[in-house]
Amino acid sequence: MTSSLTAPDNATPASETVHADYPEDSASRHKASTIVLQGLEKRFGADTIALDGVDLTIDSGEFFTLLGPSGCGKTTLLRILAGLETPDGGRLLLGDKDITEIPPHRRSVNTVFQSYALFPHLSVRENLAFGLRMQGISEAERNRRVDDIADFIQLGPLIDRRVDQLSGGQRQRIALARALVCEPEVLLLDEPLSALDAGLRSQLQVELLRVQKRLGMTFVFVTHDQQEAMVMSDRIAVLDGGIIQQVGPPRDVYERPVNAFVARFMGHDNLYPVTNRDGSALMTDLGTLHLTTPPDGDLLLIRPETLDLLPGEQAGDNRLFGTVTECLYRGSHAEYRLEVGSTTMQATVRNCGGNLPAVGDRVTVVVSTDDLVTLNA
Amino acid sequence: MKKQTLQRSLTGFWWLTLFFLYVPLLVVVLFSFNAANSAANFTGFSLRWYQQLLGNEEILSAFANSMVLAIASSAVALTLGCLIGYGMYRHRHRKLGWLIILIYLPIVLPDIVFGISEMAFFVQINRLTGLLGPGLLTMIISHVTFQIPFVALIVYSRFVGLDPTLFEAAKDLYATPWQRARFFMLPTIKPALISAFFLSFTLSIDDFVISFFTAGPESATLPIYIWGAIKKGVSPEINAMATVMIGAVAVAAVLSLMFNRQGRQQ
Repeated sequence: MTSSLTAPDNATPASETVHADYPEDSASRHKASTIVLQGLEKRFGADTIALDGVDLTIDSGEFFTLLGPSGCGKTTLLRILAGLETPDGGRLLLGDKDITEIPPHRRSVNTVFQSYALFPHLSVRENLAFGLRMQGISEAERNRRVDDIADFIQLGPLIDRRVDQLSGGQRQRIALARALVCEPEVLLLDEPLSALDAGLRSQLQVELLRVQKRLGMTFVFVTHDQQEAMVMSDRIAVLDGGIIQQVGPPRDVYERPVNAFVARFMGHDNLYPVTNRDGSALMTDLGTLHLTTPPDGDLLLIRPETLDLLPGEQAGDNRLFGTVTECLYRGSHAEYRLEVGSTTMQATVRNCGGNLPAVGDRVTVVVSTDDLVTLNA
Repeated sequence: MKKQTLQRSLTGFWWLTLFFLYVPLLVVVLFSFNAANSAANFTGFSLRWYQQLLGNEEILSAFANSMVLAIASSAVALTLGCLIGYGMYRHRHRKLGWLIILIYLPIVLPDIVFGISEMAFFVQINRLTGLLGPGLLTMIISHVTFQIPFVALIVYSRFVGLDPTLFEAAKDLYATPWQRARFFMLPTIKPALISAFFLSFTLSIDDFVISFFTAGPESATLPIYIWGAIKKGVSPEINAMATVMIGAVAVAAVLSLMFNRQGRQQ
């Protein structure tokens, strides 16, 4: 169908490829493509707006994550990329082709579904070969590629099983292999890890990341879990109400959120409206703080892990006084809730072996001005 | 004590039900092997009525008619019912209540009413066009009409039981619409189709009333033949034929159940 699906070098004997590395030629054979979304719109019925003009460029070979709460439009966006939904407006480009109107079975895009969607009437091997078979690839070539991918994802012993004999983690890996074996220009992943328990989930996160880096394939990943998004992604797009709120590398999105929604969604609670300002001095319910650069927003964000706690009241610049009301001891660190000024704040303190303040203690909160961010509500 | 009494009477009721259900069948089977020409006294074991059965041209032709009717109508009903079942699944989000009632009406309609209407209908067609005179063809058409709802329901419930993303996965994995039907849908619902075929087959073999009203002089089926023959008295030959039919229908019913279960387990 596209050049990425026809192997220029299929003379490689199968016996030479029996090791955990994907065959050498796959990298050269594989073509990752840039995706460009221009003003994508999608409505369901009269008053449900799923996407409200989305512009986005996803670079080739990038691990790109669509992050947001349920109903934010991230799954709709993924389904439009897959061709399972048609946008009401806008264009979708893959490489230099406009694929807005191309049906899913003619797009070089494959999906790992949340429910895995493995065919119950087929064995693992037949499931893996399904996409190749539909494209009319010869049986010998099919078998070779299925064997390669099974080695690569380490599915060897499962290959002749029935799908109903597999565990959740095994199904997940087979769903991944079934999509990868087609060597699409873009791989879409719709919350592929959400049905797994925490341990298996973090193991598969690492595995997925490794696969993506080794193949250099463009991955578009959908999740509602900001931790997962930060671990996996080269870049994250945070969506809400069918609008992209912010796009950037995980550190940008986490440390410099552009608005209150992104800040809250990334897990920040220390948000304080600016009540008054005087040059670089900001008045909030916490007290007065001085910024190194003039503020440009009316909401102050203080990340809990940038704070330091000192025992007692020790005066100084950008220091606040408070009382510990809650302490959650986590081993490597402790999470505090403090009463400061007329409000509360959270502080995370690394456990370096020294004294940790206890509930009821009077403490000094040392605010590092470099890490203060102001944003727009 | 009270609970025990209840339990006992329920058990008794259960056996009574089985008694009235199956002992009549056993009687027929038993007397089909009777040496004497009697429905009252069993005098000894014999296969003479089965031999006579095989020599009776009328019975053999009725048997052939029954088989042709059952297989042809089931095949047609399977094709059409499968399409309807899929259509019902595809458009399940729309309001299709009236359409579904329309399809299911034949199930609840008394057979006699259905049979009479079919007959009147075919007579009119025949009078106006000269086509569709009473015979196997009219019987096949009427059997198809009452088999379709069962097939459609079985196919529909199989589709509803599937993960809807499977349809999307097939699209995503480059299957064209025809390939989706050929490599995904048909293999996935195959057990349901086989089950539906055997159920249709059983319904057709079973039917007397509708067949009676739509049959022509040359197209008597086994039930029609039995009904005619029985007016002259029950002969052990009829018992032998009934035994054969019990066997055939039981096999079809068991096969239908087996495939239906196999489909659900997938």
